[in-house]
Amino acid sequence: MRTSTTPPVTRRAQARLGLALVVPLVLIIAVFFLFPLGNALYYSLLDYNGVNPTPPFVGLANYVELATDPALLPALANNILWIVVGTAAPMLIGFALALLMWRVRRGSTFYRIALFLPYILPTVAVGVVWGWIYDPIRGWLNAALRGIGLGGLATGWLGNPDTALYAVLATAVWTATGFVFVVLLSSLQNVDSELLDAARMDGANGAQRVWYVVLPQIMPVFLMILTLTLVGGFSVFDIIFVMTGGGPANATEVLGTYAYSSAFQLNRISYGTALALVISVLAIPFAVALNRLQRRLSLQGMGT
Amino acid sequence: MSRHALLIVLSLLTLFPVILIVSTTLKTRQDVKVNPFGLFSTFSFENLERAWTVGDFGSYLLDSVLLTVPSTALAVVLSTMGGYAFARLPFPGRSVAFYLVVLGLLVPFFAYMIPLYFQLRSMGLLDTLIGVVLVLTSTGLSFGTFFMRAFFSDLPEELDQAARIDGASEARIFTQVMLPLATPGIGTLTVFTFLQNWNNFLVPLLYLPGGEYRPLTTGLYLFAGGRSVDIGPLAAGALITILPVVVLFIGLQRQVTEGFLSGAVKG
Repeated sequence: MRTSTTPPVTRRAQARLGLALVVPLVLIIAVFFLFPLGNALYYSLLDYNGVNPTPPFVGLANYVELATDPALLPALANNILWIVVGTAAPMLIGFALALLMWRVRRGSTFYRIALFLPYILPTVAVGVVWGWIYDPIRGWLNAALRGIGLGGLATGWLGNPDTALYAVLATAVWTATGFVFVVLLSSLQNVDSELLDAARMDGANGAQRVWYVVLPQIMPVFLMILTLTLVGGFSVFDIIFVMTGGGPANATEVLGTYAYSSAFQLNRISYGTALALVISVLAIPFAVALNRLQRRLSLQGMGT
Repeated sequence: MSRHALLIVLSLLTLFPVILIVSTTLKTRQDVKVNPFGLFSTFSFENLERAWTVGDFGSYLLDSVLLTVPSTALAVVLSTMGGYAFARLPFPGRSVAFYLVVLGLLVPFFAYMIPLYFQLRSMGLLDTLIGVVLVLTSTGLSFGTFFMRAFFSDLPEELDQAARIDGASEARIFTQVMLPLATPGIGTLTVFTFLQNWNNFLVPLLYLPGGEYRPLTTGLYLFAGGRSVDIGPLAAGALITILPVVVLFIGLQRQVTEGFLSGAVKG
């Protein structure tokens, strides 16, 4: 917001410095983001296998094949299950934890560290240790089930096609909950306590106060987390790749692992690229909605 | 009181996987063979030693540092420069350039990772430290610029006007007036970007396929997938991988949480 009273000398000096400061940034963005992004569109119109020097131009053939690929629907269904459960569970658990922590002072730093830590751990380490917990013979999960008399449920969680996706999902919920918890806890600090007191005087019980007083006030933050999970849900890759690689018998295959294996294991570079683009396009409406929402939130002073 | 009891139980349950890593790391080799996941039954540093020597985790750690430190520094410096220019310096093409930079917030890395592989290959940057440092840098720039721009926009306008009246040059206003005021933002961004780059798995997986350089994330992945996995050193490797993250988080809790809360845009 420069006023027109800025002298031309200053304006020229500002423009010079501005350009100088931005050039290196724009250069890297152009070479390592914009150029390959444009190339992705181009690749998806070819039939490139990574080796042929002059891959034939095939138009929309890759996209047509995508639409009729029998392997695509199960993967997409897994993504949708991933998004629904992977959003709902951390939100419910995170909200319950945030309510539990609300106004707790003593020990709050420890609880915060403990509950948020899983969110920032490297995925590979998370995959390794949860693999042990799910171990069919010596794993803690089966031991715990036997301990409470449910030994009949014990199974090789990651090796069994019926349970593998849920097992990986549970791990993802473990990592995501801490984030939801911290976001909701910080937004709970903004809840109007006078309204809460008034509701209590009017005889509202705990559940009613949460439902009618607390929830409406933190709704925008809830929506933000919701869109956020939706954006990430289509391109989920790391945790599944690390824990099951899409197996057993494609039980945990999602769009991301399918794109990866198409391109880098089957050398169907163009097909993988087309799929990766479709995945990104699926997420973009949610990403746009998220950006809008965040701008509105920060205008209201509630964003972080 | 019962609320605290419940919170303590839940915290310990949440921390259980981390406790398990530490416990298995600190067992004797013999104990790992018999009872790998029993908690704290024996004590030794044998597994850490083996992870370091046989498992190559020493060199993975070095590569993690060589990739993470320069890419974090570069991303923070470029984002701070760009963020300042976009926030406070009018120049031709500013809004177009800004939109191109923050487009990265909408487009996941997934969209362009495959063509980037072949681009790096033809540039001779595949399997090189410099290539992966540049890619990691670029993945941090969109958010970094967005974040620093917001930070600089919030600083009062009177500041640079006063400095200008005192005869300070534009460069001097940036380096001596604005930069010191932006330190908290730069700190948060640095911590956040460092963690993102340290934890990044896909970038080294794709662009360091040869194995001459390998950071902890892909190193641990390779070790875990090896034939006849040796659980003791694997636990030690996992511990080496997460330890810097845990220490950084406990030491700089506020910056880390803040970074991730505002970094939420990145997904």
